[in-house]
Amino acid sequence: MEPEEISSHVLNKLLKAGADDVIVSVSKQESSQIKYSNNLINTTKTWENIDLGIFMALKKKIVLTNIKEFSLSATDDVVNKLLKFVKSASPNSEYAGIAKGPFSYKGVEDSYDKKIASLGNNSIDYVEKAINKALASGAKRTAGVFENSVNNISLLTSNDIKATDKGTHSYFSIRAFNSKYASCQKVGFSRMIDLLDVENLAEQAALISKQSLNPEHGKFGKFDVVFETLPFANIIDNLGMAMSAFSVEAGLSCLKDMVGKQVANKKITIIDDGMLKNGFNSSKFDAEGAPTQRNIMIDKGIFKTYLHNTSTAKRFNTKTTANAGLLSPSPTNLIVEKGNFSKQELFEQVKNGLYITNLWYTRFQNYNTGDFSTIPRDGIFIIKNGKIGKPIKGIRISENILTLLKNVAAIGNKPERVIGWEVETPVVTPAVLVKDVNITRPVD
Amino acid sequence: MFKDLADFAVKYALKKGADYSEARLESTTSNSFILKNGIAEASGFDKINGLGMRIIKNKTLGFASTNHMDKEKIKKLIQNTINTTEKASHLREEINLSEEKANKDRYRVKQKINLNDVGPEEKIKLLFNAEKELINTKINIPSRYLSLSDSITTEYLTNSDGTNILATVPKVTFFYLLTVEHDGKTSQRIWQYGQTGGFEFVKKWDIPSIVVNEVKALQNNLKFGIKPPKQALDIVAAPQVVGIMVHESGGHPYEADRIIGREGAQAGESFITKEMLGTRIGNEVVNVVDDPLLENSYGFYKYDNEGVKARRKYLIKEGIINEFLHNRETAYCMGIKSNGSSRSVNYDRESIVRMSNTFMLPGNHTEEELIKDVKLGIYMKNFMEWNIDDKRINQKYVGAESYLIKNGEIKEPVIKPVIEITTPQLYKSIDAVAKNMEYHAGNCGKGEPMQPIPVWFGGPSIRIRKIRLGN
Repeated sequence: MEPEEISSHVLNKLLKAGADDVIVSVSKQESSQIKYSNNLINTTKTWENIDLGIFMALKKKIVLTNIKEFSLSATDDVVNKLLKFVKSASPNSEYAGIAKGPFSYKGVEDSYDKKIASLGNNSIDYVEKAINKALASGAKRTAGVFENSVNNISLLTSNDIKATDKGTHSYFSIRAFNSKYASCQKVGFSRMIDLLDVENLAEQAALISKQSLNPEHGKFGKFDVVFETLPFANIIDNLGMAMSAFSVEAGLSCLKDMVGKQVANKKITIIDDGMLKNGFNSSKFDAEGAPTQRNIMIDKGIFKTYLHNTSTAKRFNTKTTANAGLLSPSPTNLIVEKGNFSKQELFEQVKNGLYITNLWYTRFQNYNTGDFSTIPRDGIFIIKNGKIGKPIKGIRISENILTLLKNVAAIGNKPERVIGWEVETPVVTPAVLVKDVNITRPVD
Repeated sequence: MFKDLADFAVKYALKKGADYSEARLESTTSNSFILKNGIAEASGFDKINGLGMRIIKNKTLGFASTNHMDKEKIKKLIQNTINTTEKASHLREEINLSEEKANKDRYRVKQKINLNDVGPEEKIKLLFNAEKELINTKINIPSRYLSLSDSITTEYLTNSDGTNILATVPKVTFFYLLTVEHDGKTSQRIWQYGQTGGFEFVKKWDIPSIVVNEVKALQNNLKFGIKPPKQALDIVAAPQVVGIMVHESGGHPYEADRIIGREGAQAGESFITKEMLGTRIGNEVVNVVDDPLLENSYGFYKYDNEGVKARRKYLIKEGIINEFLHNRETAYCMGIKSNGSSRSVNYDRESIVRMSNTFMLPGNHTEEELIKDVKLGIYMKNFMEWNIDDKRINQKYVGAESYLIKNGEIKEPVIKPVIEITTPQLYKSIDAVAKNMEYHAGNCGKGEPMQPIPVWFGGPSIRIRKIRLGN
């Protein structure tokens, strides 16, 4: 049975049983990963999955299910269980419905690439080229992954929405090492494989790794920091989660009661764009079927809106930003608007500071206040009188995320596209200079 | 279950030229319930039926997974995987597996109260009861997020060495995030409880008492907390804090795949090398083990995901680096046998070296004795923020419920004392270990794609001598 037929079968059965709102999604994914370390391929991985997701509201009782099994009999079992389950569920008095269609959708530019769809095991050639490039550029060891996927989604809702989308994704990461304590990581992604230059990423990683040999222990205190794109994306990713209306309600946001207020330096403008050309999370529609859009989240330092689905938007007396998440709205592609400075010009503005190329293990002490700490890893360098100096190690950033954003002093002019282990939302950002960042280290 | 399909897959891979093949079938049903600020946000259930395979051909490893339970599709997947391993063979890490006994067994974790016999209504009622008790405290708690979930997983593992394991493991989990406000200031705690077993454990936890005690302690700290002293002092760390310390710096660095660099890209490597086996890392009172066999623990298993029989591993023995965590691949690399530490979170993830239940062994003291011998110090009962670098040296723990110790007695609450310390200094500064034991549940992150895997971490209270708190 085709996904569309199953979806329609489920929808009709649930509506007949009295459901008020129903969303049925079927997503199919074929993906692969080449995992490598010590310059060799550890594993080749292949996945084939089909997921059936059902959302049902009946008298404000919300039940969700996700089934990794796809057959008509399995589907009938699920429908029966849903109906039994919903009887004993409790109503969500705050629930306020799902998007009302029909909608017309615009396609996302550069979101499907036949070359990725037919890449197969040629992905190994990209990994080989990248490893060779890193070694030729001076790295001793490399580790990383190269992932490719083809996705198809179909969505059917009780509010006149019937939509499909397809996409391809490529993600590459490389960590170059010159010793146990000298390394650099670079990541990149694209929906079109020809726009992903894995050799360039490998070369950049190798060059920084080489420079970071023999680091000394860093010092604590306040430093001006030039954040490379990867670490700044880590911070913006955490801010993005705080933008969700769900996070505000759950106590996970430092942006509570901040709409219309200054939350960052006026140099900062952040956009969430679900339609971003070649955006990793771009799609025609969100999880309710609402057409995705471009939302200005922070305009010259002023926080403009939370991320909403239909239900959270009604609770906040506003319109959906098309960021469903059926329970929790979430960012799509976060963009930090570029500034005017080359990286060199950012360094030149620093008398005594640090250049940080990666962050790791970002954890909050209090999501409400935004107090957190995070650990710079890979190449960390002293900046002295505008010039990159000695590498250091063993430090931590212990800061408040809003203070950090208010202390942004200059923004680079060359955005990079970042996603990864610690950056779950794709972020497009240039390097950024932040003044007076609090650096701590283990006490002797 | 589709056991025949898994048996077929193993044989078919061999027929297509594989030197080793392994299939792992997973069938999981789960339920979850969320209460947010007193409102039933949503309930849900999920179902998984899928097959994961590892195939080695010409010393090249390929992993494949699918939830299309169809023979023809599986045949095609196996052929594709073999083709890919062939293409990768000129650039592959040479994969060899340690020789292990082929085990045949079936086991089931017993449930006194079967999860399927407890309806959704009763499960969500427990959260409503907790909410009611929170409101009754009259404490200002602007955000209250409570969730309860349960699952039953049946796994069938078979490989071309003759291993055949069928296991059924039920799990229960309670998670909370609470925000307490006082005088314009807020304090938060996130914590979770988790065990393998039936609903009897959810009842035993007494969820209303857990959350009420938590908000009372948070309010007490906000109301009466003082700043921590600046001079060098002693710390008595309670089991929750010891558990996370041991997990982060006594467990992760002992994962052999980190040590050989296989997780170098993301999860990181380790400051420990093979050559450090047998060398001193801490005071002789320090003993750290990883033990999957703890009954009803969150990280329980009898056989790992390569079919190797689980056992207790002594990672640190009397302060000496004693043993690493191994799967068959890392064991072969180091010329030994696997100690059964290979785990994967679902059928669609490659099994890699993981912790199970990692904890410090108890000593002979009471917690009171540890406190009594402190002139100036901090009693850190639990924590909120923590992190550690990817080689597992530089770690930080920020106390949530904490108190000043003065002349051997617990005094007023202390606001956010910070332990920021290196691993060698931490383990060398532990001078006494108590005999009170607690285990706590968490989901440990590792792997690419990420595999958050259920573990326990724990230990007794310990005393850490003469350290200076961080800023």
